[in-house]
Amino acid sequence: MDTAGAGQTKYGIHPFSHTGDAGFRLVAKTLPGVFILAAQALYGVMTDRRRLRARDRREVAVEAPDTASLLVGWLNELLFLFDTTGFMGKEITIQELTPQRLRAALRGEDLNPERHIYKTGVKAATYHHLSVTQTPSGWEATIILDL
Amino acid sequence: MAKPKTSPRGELQLRQIDDYRWEIPPVGAMRTRGLIFATQEMLPDLRQDQSLQQVANVATLPGIEGPSLAMPDIHWGYGFPIGGVAAFNLEEGVISPGGVGYDINCGVRLLRTKLSRPEITGRVEALVDTLFSNIPSGVGSRRRDLKLTYPTLKEVLRLGAAWAVKQGFGEPDDLAHIEAGGQIPGADPEVISDKALERGRDQLGTLGSGNHFVEIGYVAEIFDPELARALNIFPDQVTVIIHTGSRGLGHQVCDDYIRVMLAAAARYGIELPDRQLCCAPVKSPEGQEYLGAMAAAANFAFANRQLITHWVRETLMQVLRLGPRDLGLDLVYDVAHNMAKIETHTVAGKPKKLCVHRKGATRAFPPGHPDVPRLYQTTGQPVLIPGDMGRYSYLLVGTPQALEETFGSTCHGAGRVMSRQAAIKAARGRSIIQELAGRGIVVRGAGKATIAEEIPEAYKDVEQVVRVVHGAGLSRKVARLHPLGVIKG
Repeated sequence: MDTAGAGQTKYGIHPFSHTGDAGFRLVAKTLPGVFILAAQALYGVMTDRRRLRARDRREVAVEAPDTASLLVGWLNELLFLFDTTGFMGKEITIQELTPQRLRAALRGEDLNPERHIYKTGVKAATYHHLSVTQTPSGWEATIILDL
Repeated sequence: MAKPKTSPRGELQLRQIDDYRWEIPPVGAMRTRGLIFATQEMLPDLRQDQSLQQVANVATLPGIEGPSLAMPDIHWGYGFPIGGVAAFNLEEGVISPGGVGYDINCGVRLLRTKLSRPEITGRVEALVDTLFSNIPSGVGSRRRDLKLTYPTLKEVLRLGAAWAVKQGFGEPDDLAHIEAGGQIPGADPEVISDKALERGRDQLGTLGSGNHFVEIGYVAEIFDPELARALNIFPDQVTVIIHTGSRGLGHQVCDDYIRVMLAAAARYGIELPDRQLCCAPVKSPEGQEYLGAMAAAANFAFANRQLITHWVRETLMQVLRLGPRDLGLDLVYDVAHNMAKIETHTVAGKPKKLCVHRKGATRAFPPGHPDVPRLYQTTGQPVLIPGDMGRYSYLLVGTPQALEETFGSTCHGAGRVMSRQAAIKAARGRSIIQELAGRGIVVRGAGKATIAEEIPEAYKDVEQVVRVVHGAGLSRKVARLHPLGVIKG
């Protein structure tokens, strides 16, 4: 994993404490990269992602008034997809990302108690301490999940 | 009057009123004071997170009646603090999904049996295992045996626990022992999104994840023998507590309406010190729609707890080889702790309809109140305060003091003090299941990490929280319950 630069936070998912819930600081070179990290952080709360296989394909489209809301909407759409079908994405490709619209393709599989580890459920991605900002070395976001 | 421009900033002043009451005097954009129920010892923790600021933020919302309240289990949440209570008049006041929470009508019910603890000695593990297989819990819990059509689901949303009783899950008499009769009026399934419906259709009768649980326990101590007798509670009595809410359907409703309210708040010119306080006037179309959607989700949760009760009864009968009459599993009461309700309260000496938000707070109406079931008219409304996993829970009743001071509200449980990460760290190298077994408690968790996350040290001591509400006169202690076996989401 490449470093963002001296004194900067490394690219990747950085969990932080928030009493009952799961907070994450996401650092990536690109904005789509942040969205992918967010999805990985979400799935990582619920299962051990290493056991997921990229078998089936799903497409997701989300609209929101601004980029930060789009991040919340993206994660809540993934939660909806999981809640209704059991699907979790292993490989994620962001196909379109504007300030108000996102389209993505995911390859993954439905969670299965025989093959996968079940960790903690997530109620929703929240607007609490939500931020998406551009930095000299890329993009950074914070988001908190209600568990 | 000039509209206040800025939200409260800087270190908030706290003025002590008595041993259990602390006031945040209005400052900046606050329209009223904050009133926090807590002891001196609890204050350092309160100051550590932003819960006090959140109490102050709620006080800036239009149409607020009385103070912005905080119960002793307060900790920071999304917009409103958890443990927050705020009432708004219907003329100018607002309704806010953040004042209810994502898990609409997360709540708890207490069931009693005719059995004493010695009668289930040696059977607890079998009970827990069977509960675990009969009641889906954990991440993505769904029922394979109960997937509702949309018309049936909409019936559930309209009728709540009454739907479950109609299908044979429980008795008609159960409804009298549920807050609001297990059915919030005005529920409108047509303002529930298709996404919420899709999430909910196979989740009825499931526990979900997080801090949800079903717990078999016993009455360890009785504080008020007269009240206990009136509630049919006796020493060593085997009890069951069910703690769960409206599952994915409720979460989706909340998320849907937060988006609606973010836009609405701007349109109605409501200044928000925190975006998560997004709201609309109660009487606006958006406000009315949210009320209808929230009521529908609440009814889903009432039906959910009623259905889970059915499988609890089946499990106990099956494992203990008892018929229903010998088991005598009956509902003591079922309360919500995430809800907004239209209630009539006395304001300036006159009855007034208010929209009361309780987020992580429980209704606690006194003896004689018309909304308290006939059976509890002399005792007051039962209140169940679940502790954390492995520690005790409390049964209390509501009081006139609560009605006068907190719109008939009390705490809801022990708040967390440790993050899940910190709890997992603290649990490392320990076998929590063994530790609990050593104290005579059997635990089964659906998720790998969840047991570690729920270690007792991660929570405030519920005894302290209950001491405050009892000491402040908001609720009266009846009994303390200890766990024997728990299934956790």
